Amino acid sequence: MTVRFSLFIDPHASSSPWVFTRPGNPNLERALHMESGSDHTPRRVRKTTMSDVFDKCRTWKDYRIAKATGLYPYFRAIEASHGATEVEIEGRRVIMVGSNNYLGLSADPRVKEAAIKATEKFGTTCSGSRLLNGTLALHEELEARLAKFLNRESAIVISTGFQTNLALASILGRHDIVFSDRANHASLVDGVRLSFATERKFRHNDMDHLEQLLAAAEPGAGKIIVTDGVFSMEGDVCNLPRIVELSKQYNARVMTDDAHAMGVLGEMGRGTSEYFGLEKDVDLVMGTFSKSFASLGGVLAGPFDVINYIRHKARSVIFSASMTPASIAAALKATEIIESEPQRRARLLDIAEKMHNGFRAMGFDTGVSVTPVVPVHIGDQVKCFRFWRALHEAGVFANPVIPPAVEAGHALIRTSYMATHTDAQLDQVLDTFEKIGRKLNVIPETRPTVYEPVKIARPGSAVRSNKASETWAAGSAGLLADKGFSLDQLSRMSSREMAGKFFDAVEQLTWRAANLQPEDLRRLGGAPKKLWEKRSELGGVLLEKGAQLFMRNGSDGSDGGNQAERN
Amino acid sequence: MPSDVQVTPVRGAADRTAFIRLPYSLYRDDPNWVPPLEMERRDFLDPKKNPFFDYAEVELFLARRGQDVVGRVAAIKNPRHMEFHGTKEGFFGLFECVNDAGVARALLDAASAWLKARGIDTVLGPANFSSNQDWGLLVEGYESPPALMMPFNPAYYAGLLEACGFTKAKDLWAWELSSSTPPPEKVARIAEKIRKREGVTVRAVNLKDFPAEVARIKEIYNAAWEKNWGFIPFTDREFDHMAKEMKAIVRPELVLIAEVKGEPVAFSMTLPDANPAFKAANGRLTTFGLPMGLLKLVLASRKLKRLRLLTLGIKEGYRRRGLDAILYLDTLRTAKELGYTGGEISWTLEDNHLVNRAIESMGGQRSKTYRVFQRPA
Repeated sequence: MTVRFSLFIDPHASSSPWVFTRPGNPNLERALHMESGSDHTPRRVRKTTMSDVFDKCRTWKDYRIAKATGLYPYFRAIEASHGATEVEIEGRRVIMVGSNNYLGLSADPRVKEAAIKATEKFGTTCSGSRLLNGTLALHEELEARLAKFLNRESAIVISTGFQTNLALASILGRHDIVFSDRANHASLVDGVRLSFATERKFRHNDMDHLEQLLAAAEPGAGKIIVTDGVFSMEGDVCNLPRIVELSKQYNARVMTDDAHAMGVLGEMGRGTSEYFGLEKDVDLVMGTFSKSFASLGGVLAGPFDVINYIRHKARSVIFSASMTPASIAAALKATEIIESEPQRRARLLDIAEKMHNGFRAMGFDTGVSVTPVVPVHIGDQVKCFRFWRALHEAGVFANPVIPPAVEAGHALIRTSYMATHTDAQLDQVLDTFEKIGRKLNVIPETRPTVYEPVKIARPGSAVRSNKASETWAAGSAGLLADKGFSLDQLSRMSSREMAGKFFDAVEQLTWRAANLQPEDLRRLGGAPKKLWEKRSELGGVLLEKGAQLFMRNGSDGSDGGNQAERN
Repeated sequence: MPSDVQVTPVRGAADRTAFIRLPYSLYRDDPNWVPPLEMERRDFLDPKKNPFFDYAEVELFLARRGQDVVGRVAAIKNPRHMEFHGTKEGFFGLFECVNDAGVARALLDAASAWLKARGIDTVLGPANFSSNQDWGLLVEGYESPPALMMPFNPAYYAGLLEACGFTKAKDLWAWELSSSTPPPEKVARIAEKIRKREGVTVRAVNLKDFPAEVARIKEIYNAAWEKNWGFIPFTDREFDHMAKEMKAIVRPELVLIAEVKGEPVAFSMTLPDANPAFKAANGRLTTFGLPMGLLKLVLASRKLKRLRLLTLGIKEGYRRRGLDAILYLDTLRTAKELGYTGGEISWTLEDNHLVNRAIESMGGQRSKTYRVFQRPA
């Protein structure tokens, strides 16, 4: 596969940490399928040169370019944690608004204590699979506890959330059909792909499309509808009431992935099905411990027969070492706290409301989210990186989400909150966003006079999403591609367009050179020294400037769209 | 209004490029049109680069018929103008349109509506963007190219504006003067007499002392034009910006400062009419990435034969003493020495009789008329 203009994103990389988000994007999925397709088709053997499996790794430029430009936002090493809400990176304390530790329990002394005690009692690991030698009484205690908590006959805990979704493959047979939301998490995508079942994907939260697919499917086939409860990037909730209706009409099973919903949604924190009052109608519920449960691992709960089958058949269960004693104990304690301290959930939703409205009041667009996942629309990819960098330097840890994880022109900064964030921390985050937003022209100089207040998924409210603004809707539909620079867009451009852009860039440079004033020349005289001092950032600056020059984003005042808005 | 014409505000880079590039296709066959440099126009419309945006509000509109761009206009709210004159006047400008009254009306109505929503009752124009830059619509004198920084437009524009209900607000005149015909003997004699009597010394601007000289000229300028129709004082940033732009083409010998007892009291500024050079460049400095336009621009700028006298200002208290005659004569003499054949004096208000008479007495001939139109918003 030749990729001419792959700087940041390369289809090869789509299953790598470059896409650290849930794939919600048809382009991405196309890319994924392209890849998997090519894996199954026999390749022509090159006759002339020897090929090396490692070639693709060596020729992969994205990482090197990002690293060289100082715009590499991934794998940031946290050196210390101060109550989870603040962490130390490169010796500096930053406010963490980029983790999924929704209830802040990872820093709770009771949870830590439980993990320590379990380690002291059982050691650091179980050294083996649940099936043979890795089952502790603690595992069974946690499973019983969770089955009770989730109102299910049975539950199984699996070493990671990802493996929990892979376990789904064990119950999907050759003649079964899986209906999945296009924005489902990668682990669900993989779980279905590992099975022999047929997959039918419906457009994100598009119930008409789902119905069409159900109606078109073989009536006699086993069917299951699989969806995320809360979508991790956009923060909206699945249309469970309609899904349940359709499942009854078409005789299909329903499974929800409540990774981001468990501990957050519902009176008791049991997730999406409790939130909609549909627990009896959802057959399988999946959750992870790495988010609200302050641990690591996953749970799958449902009818005893199904769970028991998975326990004995799922390869991600029987060929994997079991959860460590510390992880189980932490999850167990967290479950107890989730049940007994509903005020944490209330606080979390209050925070979500405060942050959504805070951002909206400044003129930011937080889209359709009704949850503590607060995505902030930036638009342009390079601007998104600059925004992320500026946040990083101002002491705020958030995550940039760029194409192809989102559509071109719809790059986001994703923030998420913990119940333990203090108001002072949150205000500082808002302040920082406002300053940077103005500096980078994401929001107007003055706050808009009105904004649409957010609706939050509080227990009993049954709201599923906020109304998408025009920009957001256009962004999700991929209509903003020409608004901002993205490398993706570059690769789609015809060579004629590209030449035009290039010549315009040369024109712009020539104009600037022709207009140099004596004082500019004096400044240029000092440039080599300044460049040397800033050599670490140089690449980033060059890339930004080059991209701006190329796409005419920077110099013609098109950032705000309307120059009159400045006044 | 034909319903197939769509007028939309300019949003985004693609619209802006369409706005800037429209004249290049509209005037393709007009031999007298001088294409501005596209990059200069971009900077002009860039709020970060043009100091006019420090205080004024501008909305750009594009008219489209189907996919084709058929017209453009800018609506300009200039609070400093409103404050200075105590009126509720707004402006339209950068007006370009195909010969279709329906399109013109759609554009001007959109601009009017935008201005009206901002409390403006009278629309003046065209102004690009204020009287300190170029303004007025060419209504007489289409047969020759415009002088530097003067507007140009097809003959049908006046008809379009009138069809849209615009009437004359004021005429601006341009004068032609040749350096080969010597000034009338009488004028020269009087000028010499005044020079001696008043103790006037005239000197060329000193570019090595640029900021201080700019400050001196600015002071005279803002004081001298105060009473003129349509005038608003430059802001410091605007004046400096303009001075910086002009520095590139200025011949210091032709920018004269008259001093009485060491105090600068009057100045005149004449620039080489660089339009033939811009014409040669045809809007771009580069073609396919090669600096062809730049080369043509530089080569042509060496052969400039004409001048434009842009401004001549005298401080209150020194007027009606013949200082203007001295500056005109000195400019004319220097121009001749430098090999310029003649040039334009522009613009003057039609009712500024003092100045118009003085130019006439120097042998100036009226060559072009520009008209500022008005209409209730």
